[in-house]
Amino acid sequence: MKFVLNYIRKDEWSPYVAGILLGLVGIAAIWFSNHKLGASGAFENLAGMIGKAIAPKAFDTTYFNFIMPAGISWGLILLVGVFFGGMAGAATSGTLMWGKKGSANSDAQWKRIFGPQVWKRWVLAFIGAIILEYAAGIAGGCTSGLAISGGMLLAPAAFLFIAGMFASGILTALVIYRKQY
Amino acid sequence: MNYVLALVFGGFFGFSLNKAGLTKYNKIVNVFRFTDMAVLKFMMTALVVAMSGLFALRGLGLITFPAVPATYIVGNLVGGLIFGIGMALTGY
Repeated sequence: MKFVLNYIRKDEWSPYVAGILLGLVGIAAIWFSNHKLGASGAFENLAGMIGKAIAPKAFDTTYFNFIMPAGISWGLILLVGVFFGGMAGAATSGTLMWGKKGSANSDAQWKRIFGPQVWKRWVLAFIGAIILEYAAGIAGGCTSGLAISGGMLLAPAAFLFIAGMFASGILTALVIYRKQY
Repeated sequence: MNYVLALVFGGFFGFSLNKAGLTKYNKIVNVFRFTDMAVLKFMMTALVVAMSGLFALRGLGLITFPAVPATYIVGNLVGGLIFGIGMALTGY
């Protein structure tokens, strides 16, 4: 028991142990809720809800009515859970940076490549997130919703997606890091 | 009830992501630089565990699968290609 508690307090688990935990959660989600774990779809549900409130006509499309229905979805609640689960993970290992100085840009490697400015981190995160969400919309899911949850069900789409993701990810990293690659 | 379950599953999902270090920029980027393969180890372990569990449960007739993500060869591939750019850029 003490060993388990000590392990929970550890900052970084073996990826194999954490992977087993995620695998079990994935099974449980399909068994008890008949839903796949996913993250990107929830943002589209939320965007549809906000859009329908502001400009109902522009958002009255097939996409926001049927493919990604606007409103509070299962995935959106899941995402709230992910947020608090991640915070709980950081809190148990004592690395929670909530409200602490320098918490907006604390990654040493990021600072080395892009510089220490906080605004840069915000801008890059914003631009990157637009790219991510747009791509997830095209592919039909993100890393969790398509690659992991789709892969669990042996969907060919998931493996195509993983192949594309790594091909361009490696190239982008090459471009960003250049000589330091 | 279903929403309560979603909250619990999400909690464990986020917890495992955090403990594997996938909430950090350097972990995500370093997998593309081949200096830290934690992301792949994590993803593939989760895949293998869930795959074997799910197919065993379906074989026993305990569960039915939800809709499997549709295959659009071009869509999935192009989506993945664009996704990789964002992923290496932000470390999501």
